[in-house]
Amino acid sequence: MSQRTSGCIPSDMSTSPFAVRMLGITKRFPGVVALDDVTLEVRRGEVHAICGENGAGKSTLMKILSGVYHPDAGVLEVDGRDTRFTGTRDAERAGIAIIHQELALVEDLPVAANVFLGRERRGALGLLDDSSMAEECSSLFSQLDCAVDPGDRTGNLRVGDQQLVEIAKALSLDASIVVMDEPTSALTEVESARLERTIQRLVAQGKTILYISHKMDEVFRLADRITVLRDGRHVKTVDTTATSPREITGWMVGRDIAGHDFHGSRPRGDKLLEVRGLSLPWPEHPRGYRLNDISFDLHAGEIVGIAGLMGAGRTELLEVLFGAGDDTWTGSIELRGRPVRFRHPREACEARVAMVTEDRKRLGLFPDLDVAGNVSLCALREALRNGLLSRTAEEQLAAGPVRDTGVKTPGLHATITGLSGGNQQKCIIGRWLLTKPEVLLLDDPTRGIDVGAKAELYTLIDGLCRQGLGVILTSSELPELLTLADRILVLAEGRLTAELARAEATEARIMEAATAG
Amino acid sequence: MTPPNDAHSRRSSEGSPAPQGSAAPRLRRTAWLGLRPAEWALVAAIVVAVLLTGIVDSNHSYFRLPWQSLTDILRNTALLGIFALGATVVIIAGGIDLSSGSMIALSGTIAATTMLALAPKEIMAFKPVGPAVVGVGVLAALLTGFLVGTLHTWLITAVRLPPFIATLATLVGLRSFARALCESCTLGVVGTKSAQINVSDPIFKAIRDNVWIPVAVFALLAVFTWLLLTRTVLGRHIHALGGNEQAARLAGIRTENVKWFAYCFGAMTAALAGLFYVANESVAAPVNQGRGHELNAIAAAVVGGCSLSGGVGTVPGTVLGAIFLRVVIDAVSKIIKTGADVYEGLIVGVVVVIAVTFSQLGALAKGGTRLLPGAIGLCAIPTLSLLTGALAAMTAGRNGGIATGVGALFLLGLLRVWESRRSTT
Repeated sequence: MSQRTSGCIPSDMSTSPFAVRMLGITKRFPGVVALDDVTLEVRRGEVHAICGENGAGKSTLMKILSGVYHPDAGVLEVDGRDTRFTGTRDAERAGIAIIHQELALVEDLPVAANVFLGRERRGALGLLDDSSMAEECSSLFSQLDCAVDPGDRTGNLRVGDQQLVEIAKALSLDASIVVMDEPTSALTEVESARLERTIQRLVAQGKTILYISHKMDEVFRLADRITVLRDGRHVKTVDTTATSPREITGWMVGRDIAGHDFHGSRPRGDKLLEVRGLSLPWPEHPRGYRLNDISFDLHAGEIVGIAGLMGAGRTELLEVLFGAGDDTWTGSIELRGRPVRFRHPREACEARVAMVTEDRKRLGLFPDLDVAGNVSLCALREALRNGLLSRTAEEQLAAGPVRDTGVKTPGLHATITGLSGGNQQKCIIGRWLLTKPEVLLLDDPTRGIDVGAKAELYTLIDGLCRQGLGVILTSSELPELLTLADRILVLAEGRLTAELARAEATEARIMEAATAG
Repeated sequence: MTPPNDAHSRRSSEGSPAPQGSAAPRLRRTAWLGLRPAEWALVAAIVVAVLLTGIVDSNHSYFRLPWQSLTDILRNTALLGIFALGATVVIIAGGIDLSSGSMIALSGTIAATTMLALAPKEIMAFKPVGPAVVGVGVLAALLTGFLVGTLHTWLITAVRLPPFIATLATLVGLRSFARALCESCTLGVVGTKSAQINVSDPIFKAIRDNVWIPVAVFALLAVFTWLLLTRTVLGRHIHALGGNEQAARLAGIRTENVKWFAYCFGAMTAALAGLFYVANESVAAPVNQGRGHELNAIAAAVVGGCSLSGGVGTVPGTVLGAIFLRVVIDAVSKIIKTGADVYEGLIVGVVVVIAVTFSQLGALAKGGTRLLPGAIGLCAIPTLSLLTGALAAMTAGRNGGIATGVGALFLLGLLRVWESRRSTT
């Protein structure tokens, strides 16, 4: 392998109490200082959480630790030795494995091939030794106490299992330091709980864990110490026992975040939507259906929350309501007393139903259009002057929702991908507000959005509801539903297992219904 | 052997190293006089190419016969440009149309066979067939374009073939179909099989003799396409479709219909170009007419700034790309003189690589990426030197070839050394 490696200068061979020390790290990118004199000290064998809003510099810091980036200034010490990585391979050799937020797996290859990608074992004649790799893989998975078949096509695994593949890869590298960049952002509660057990097992084996997360409950359950970054600067490193979630989020955003609650009763209006006996078949699956016999109502001025584990059918339900899925469902949907059956999202738009999709980047954003173009897209006809699009009219059109939803942008010409996740989401909500919807479907709208922006989105959604919209909201985070929703429907494996009024809903009751067999 | 540098490959695979969210959002690059910086660079490249050709060409034909040179370039540019505009729309919509060269052949053949069927005696006797017959022939050709575009859309949206496969099938299929049609029509109408049909109606001759006709058609079509892409809802939907197809559908855009328009526009512009090729050569010859031209159209679009992943591209860019391509091809023919068409493909290839690399020169200069990294870079040095040396040997003789090859080897070696030193400091 590469001879052009780091100059690993052994300066202090005595065992340092720190697995990793990053001192005075500075990293600049054209036009922005991503990290400014950041210091991070991680003790051997601890779970060290790194918290910060999007853009605080967490990922950049981890990319420096894993050899992706070079710092412009600062010292990196691994196991007490001054270290300079010239590539990710160097970091791997030093025992650092990183599990990126966006998993880096080749979906078409089997699990074992992914675990050994780039370090394939070879047997006789230099041919691949698949059986030995599969065996090693099985033993890694049994260490992790989970049942993943090394021969399965990786793309067929659920996201939670794919993450375990990454962890197995880290184990196979014999990494002593494992970095996890927002590992639970795509996981269900059950999968998150399993991941927590996995992390505890890794710690028991003497590994050091660096854990990046937005989710305070997880951080406080797992971490020994917490480092908070804000705007590329180090704010504080504290013992978990000596602080509170409220204090941490306060440091993250630089202000005290009040526990937002929208308990003020919203006036409930006419019935907008009546769903009766909705079923969506799933022939190739043993269960036979994606949704089975779902019935509920939605009124104007009401937020109905939909809870459920991943695969429970939350997204499928919204897709049926929006005409975005397969048109094979049975049952009835009435919109303002009129039966509807949308075959294309266009028909839903025309009937004043709007949907903000789950995966912003993949299903919502147009990276080549600017902010104005992204916002005005669904209502472009209103920007026609003499039959042609007028840029001025388009900007006037887009300016309204950009202002109303509180998008922070340097201008309507700005590239949408340069905005933060929260502002991108506000742009997409603004896009749909231009279609003057009566029913707004929000599929996990705050996923991957930082704490401050979440609170802003809650205020926005509550405000829209008070203006008379009917909102259906799904979320992978229960506190979010409890904060916003008037009623909560719980789905479990495609069936409606509970309908809870806000007063009777608790996390425990929802989880109970979501895991009902 | 040196294995690839991980840090380097990681960085380039991630694109710009902007950190999440915190980077100040980029503002759209300002256009000056309607053209972006890259397009001004193309304008400059065109001027430089013309001036160089005028000086290097030993006949100095640009100075002695400016009008004739201009006419040549204009005609070729207009013909290429017409269906390059179609390719631009298809590419921005996130597709690709490999079949335009064959569509050119089919369009000419349809027009000629229609006229042959309607006025067999006049065609065989090289006599005028009259505007009505010509009109029907032209309409039949354009209608064929619409049908082929529809076929593409059906294959792509209903049969769910990738656009590359669907239009690869028609690339080989349509030309063959055109040849069969030509042979069976001539056999049926005249009694003898023929691989081509002569078209000598005065209307076609007028088009051949008046260069402003194809130029005017190209200009009108360019203005139309520009308005379409920048000032209509459909145009915006084309950009949205190419930028993110799933999001476009979920935003309520009838993506199938947008694709239908794009592929029909692509095929119909090729059909229109096919008519001009027939007029130019006074013959519909499906064996060779338009052969390989699909790649020139795609090259013009790419040189003009279109991204093959869709969503990005402009009409001024494609127009300049087409002019640039034709100017360079013309330059080679002026400089080499005899048998220059042999080098046409080579020139198009080199121009595309250079033009697309040019847009990344900024990153290379800043020290982000290396042009000759690792073992691949090492092996690329003799490859490139051999290529330039062989080229020079064929055009300037053996000694010139050796000198050029050795010179290239030396320069590339120097670049390699400089890059390695820069990356270690």
